[in-house]
Amino acid sequence: MEQKEFVNIIRAYRHRLNLAGFLKKLVFSLGVGAGAGILFQAAAFFTPFYGANVYTAVSMLLAIAAAAAAALVRRVTMEQAALTMDSFGFQERIITAYEHREDDGALFALQRKDAMDRLKEHRNRIRIPLWPDRKKTILSALLLAAAVGLAIVPSPMKERAKELHQVQKEAVAKEEEIEEVLEELEELEQQTLTPEQLASLQEMTEGLQSSLAEYGQAVSADELQAANDKLRYKYDAMSGQIADLAQSLQNGASVSPITAESMQAMADKLQEMSGKSADGDKVASGQEGSQGDGQESGQGGSQGDGQEGSQGSGQGDGQGGSQGDGQEGGQGSGQGDGQGGSQGDGQSGSQGDGQGGGQGDGQSGGAGRGTGTANNSHDYVSIPNAVADSGNLTGNAVNHDNSDYFRAPNGLSWEGTHISYEAVIGSYEQNAYEGIATGRYPSGMESVIKDYFASFN
Amino acid sequence: MSESDRSRLQDPSYLAQRAADCEREIRKGIVGQEEVIRQVMQAMLTGGNVLLEGMPGLGKTRLVSTISKVFDLSFKRIQFTPDLMPSDVTGTNIIVKNEQGNSFSFERGPIFAHLILADEINRATPKTQSALLEAMQEHTVTVGNESHTLAEPFLVLATQNPIENEGTYPLPEAQLDRFMFKILVRFPSKEELKGIVALTEGSQAQPVEKQMDGEELLAARAVVNQIPVADAVMDYLLEIVMETHAPNPHIREGASPRAAQALIRAARAQAFLEGRLNVSFQDVEEAAYPVLRHRILPSFDAISQGVSEDDIIREILAVRKPQV
Repeated sequence: MEQKEFVNIIRAYRHRLNLAGFLKKLVFSLGVGAGAGILFQAAAFFTPFYGANVYTAVSMLLAIAAAAAAALVRRVTMEQAALTMDSFGFQERIITAYEHREDDGALFALQRKDAMDRLKEHRNRIRIPLWPDRKKTILSALLLAAAVGLAIVPSPMKERAKELHQVQKEAVAKEEEIEEVLEELEELEQQTLTPEQLASLQEMTEGLQSSLAEYGQAVSADELQAANDKLRYKYDAMSGQIADLAQSLQNGASVSPITAESMQAMADKLQEMSGKSADGDKVASGQEGSQGDGQESGQGGSQGDGQEGSQGSGQGDGQGGSQGDGQEGGQGSGQGDGQGGSQGDGQSGSQGDGQGGGQGDGQSGGAGRGTGTANNSHDYVSIPNAVADSGNLTGNAVNHDNSDYFRAPNGLSWEGTHISYEAVIGSYEQNAYEGIATGRYPSGMESVIKDYFASFN
Repeated sequence: MSESDRSRLQDPSYLAQRAADCEREIRKGIVGQEEVIRQVMQAMLTGGNVLLEGMPGLGKTRLVSTISKVFDLSFKRIQFTPDLMPSDVTGTNIIVKNEQGNSFSFERGPIFAHLILADEINRATPKTQSALLEAMQEHTVTVGNESHTLAEPFLVLATQNPIENEGTYPLPEAQLDRFMFKILVRFPSKEELKGIVALTEGSQAQPVEKQMDGEELLAARAVVNQIPVADAVMDYLLEIVMETHAPNPHIREGASPRAAQALIRAARAQAFLEGRLNVSFQDVEEAAYPVLRHRILPSFDAISQGVSEDDIIREILAVRKPQV
């Protein structure tokens, strides 16, 4: 009975030692984890490190797990507990008695009795503190507090890291989207196509791969915006090209109707993605104001008014004939209605911002209707007299409350400063190069623009 | 021997008490030198031979004489000199005339006693020194073709002068290893010296009385030999011995396995004298010095740097801390 009690006493101290060991390891590990966390947090102040908080939390969790694992692996045995108890002045009586608890013989019995008597008499000597050294505990707590404090403190670099993370996230989404489109393009290339058509598809593929690379390199919202602009442009262009391709295939009947349908479906999808990209831009950059003219282009304009319809402002929609061929239609913004008849007239509203409109000639019937608003103020809106005289122009140009109306056969002229040709070209050239630098233009167009301006020199 | 006497001889507590009484009684006859007395007591309780090293006049002979009285054992002193012959120690066969004619009879030498004081053992020739070997190890003496068993308990306490080298024959390692302890008898402190003078020159001398007989001593040895040792303590002890063989610029040669045996026996005896029936780390540490100091051969570096054997042992004990 006494022997059982003796073993139970050792076991109780063993549990306490295990707990104390775990707490000691925990405090140490938390100190190390917090130290690592401080490093992560400090790094987040000097470099865009979005995952600093996550890494800090993970290092803490790892520290706790390591402490638990170490405590489990290196848990105290009964012999170690007995030895530790002996270190409180029992001169190895307890460990000897424990190890020889099953041995028979008068000497062993006497030794066990001696150990038990001593233990009962001086048990209060055994003091095993649960918590580790106070200094170490305080140091670990301070490190922990410092790590948490650093995590809370805001900094421009953290904001930058957030932005970068957002950019990367969006870039990855875009990359996936592009990959999908590329796969579909690859499938289309498998069809029986003419070399020209194949070359066209190949060109699209290269364009998208270029965008893929741009997204991979995008490290700021501006770069992402530029890449989005280019991609949208490409989608838009590709949509038209694929639609044309689908139409030509249908007309030529050289492929199965399924192929043509799939192409048309892809064209529609790209058109939709182009619009989605525009929506996405607004969310991403919030710069729609400066891009207002360009982003409010009506879809109808692009179809109905001609090649430059996409640059028209306003949410226009229309049903233009596929062969509509307006030359400058659609740059007008505002509530413009385009109705491409056989002559392809475009009409821009009085509030529009068009620099020219409605002189396109449609070869086949088509009607475009665009509605849109523009809040920009304008000094001057010019429309051809033919358009002004036609009955299609909506609104009252003459005697308008807020504007003056002039009519002249060869356009109006104002007094003003004279700007030399070189200055004008130089200004355009500078704008163009700035646009290249900021990624404003679709990829592949940079060299064209450069060549163009180089031709003036 | 009565039944009660027999049962007392099997009672560890009684024997431990008797041993403590002996130690106390010896202290009455020897002033100071408590460590020496404790170590000699350990030797008595384990049957190990002792090499006492110290300057002349430090009470070595008196110590042995006192022990013999306290334990009621026969005591012989052999003064070792260069011309001392082995037969002078062990005894020899002599021709005896009797009624049947002449015959050889073995005349016992001074070694036939319980306690032998081999005074200045290093002054005798190696031949004579080696005459002690068999007695010390086997507790027998062989003369001619006949072996004679020595009476138990048998113990050799040898002395040597650490300074005098002229005309001496340093003990070879093999013989040194047979001494369980090498005990350094240090010069007493002023207070101790005062006590010595008062004890020997004044009238304060108290007669030393017998506290234990040879039979009780043998019974105590049996108990000491059975004192349990915890695994951790045994590991610690063995690590100390092993450490003497680890690369160490101060050690030329480490301790022999006999050192481990001597160390555990000495630690057990120490525990017994402390009234414990188990060996502690401290017992091992205390026993390490007298057990190891003559078994470690210091290197040339150690000698040239003035590093003593005790310094080396201290170093080893510092490296090999008990694993708690």
